Order: sequence, then C-alpha cells, then structure tokens
Amino acid sequence: MGRKDANVRMSLQTLRVLEVFLENPAEQLAGAEVHQRCGIVSGTLYPILIRLESAGWFVSEWESIDPSRAGRPRRRLYRLTSTGLRRAGEVFASFNRGVLA
Amino acid sequence: MSQRNQVTQWLIHHAARRAPRHLSSRLEEEWLADSESRCSSLSRLRFGVGCYWAAMVIDNDFPSSSVPAVSPVVAARSFVPLADGNYSYFSLRSGTLFLIVGIYAALFCGLITTLSHTRAPPEIESIRILPAK
Repeated sequence: MGRKDANVRMSLQTLRVLEVFLENPAEQLAGAEVHQRCGIVSGTLYPILIRLESAGWFVSEWESIDPSRAGRPRRRLYRLTSTGLRRAGEVFASFNRGVLA
Repeated sequence: MSQRNQVTQWLIHHAARRAPRHLSSRLEEEWLADSESRCSSLSRLRFGVGCYWAAMVIDNDFPSSSVPAVSPVVAARSFVPLADGNYSYFSLRSGTLFLIVGIYAALFCGLITTLSHTRAPPEIESIRILPAK
C-alpha cells in the first residue's frame, strides 16, 4: 500500500498505538487487542493502523488458523517493521529531548 | 443472533463498501472478526458505528484514484468511477466543524428571528413606562 516510509501525522492516539506495539516489537496484534490495551475506539484506531501500514511502519497478515477448528474467524494481525521500529523510536526519543519530530 | 448483532454486521458491511476498493473486502473480514471479540452486543454495535466512521476517514486518506490502473485503456474507461471521491475543498474534519458551526448559526438565527417576531401579551403591551419625575 502506497507511500513507504512516509512521514506519519503524529496524534496522541497514534502515539498510544505505537506505544502498545513498542512494548513488545516482535508481537503481532489484532485491532481488537490494540483496542483492549489502549482503549482507542474503532473509528480512530483502524485509520491509524491503515495509515501506519501504508507508510511502511507496520505490516499485516491474516492469522494462520483454521476458522472452523478455532471456532472464530481469522483476524488481521499487525506487526512493527524494522522501519517502523526505528521511526517510532525516533519519535519517542524526540519527545524525551523535548522536540517534536 | 440478536437484532443488535445483525445491525452491527449490516453496519460493517456497508462501512466496508464505503472504504477504498482495494481495502474493502479485507476491512470487512477484519472488522467482522474483531467485532466477535466484543463481549456485549451493545459494544459490538458501538464498534460497528466506529467502523462506519473509520471507513469514511480511510476513504478520505486513500481516495479511489490512488488505485493503480492496469492499463491506459482500463484507466480511461474507468476514469469516472475511479475519480477521486474527495470533491470537497476541506478535509472531513474541517467539513464536520463547518457543519456543526453552521447548525449552531442557523439555530441562533432562528431563535433571534422568532424572538423578534414574538408579540408580547396585550396586558404587557398596554403598560406605559412613564419617565421618573
């Protein structure tokens, strides 16, 4: 999807989403889990996830389960990319310096 | 299945249709799966309403024209349907702000107009205020 490694508009909600993923950068999270952890409503959360994926900060893939066995539909899982990890680190580091990137 | 869950599914289905074409089916499946994780039907309903809003925001961020065409012929044929859906001069957020301000302004004007055309009761109209001596 589109513009890789582009600058992403940093809102408070975007920072909260990034914070959730930075807790364990290797972890794959579904939108529902991100909602549970940071409490951002779906109307705000999914545009942020799509925006970050489009910018190359996240990658997403379908959960590899058999829905009939699991008894639930497969979810879309998001994970930080190396670019996303670096850029998110830079953003939070800039806050520590007191300068918004 | 409760009526609320049906409404949620309907909302998600229609929300996904509002999203850009290349994301539509993916978002519908993703949102339906994520709505399953909600414990109550009311929470699912709120999730569905949120998805509707999310689809509008995503459509604003990724207009349909950003979908690459396969060939110039296809591009020319499908130019009109694939034309940028964002016709407005303002972003969605600005548009919403202007709409709210407009509604308040209209209500205020209506209130002022009503008050200026309201006649006082006769017993009040007949009262003359005399200057103090």
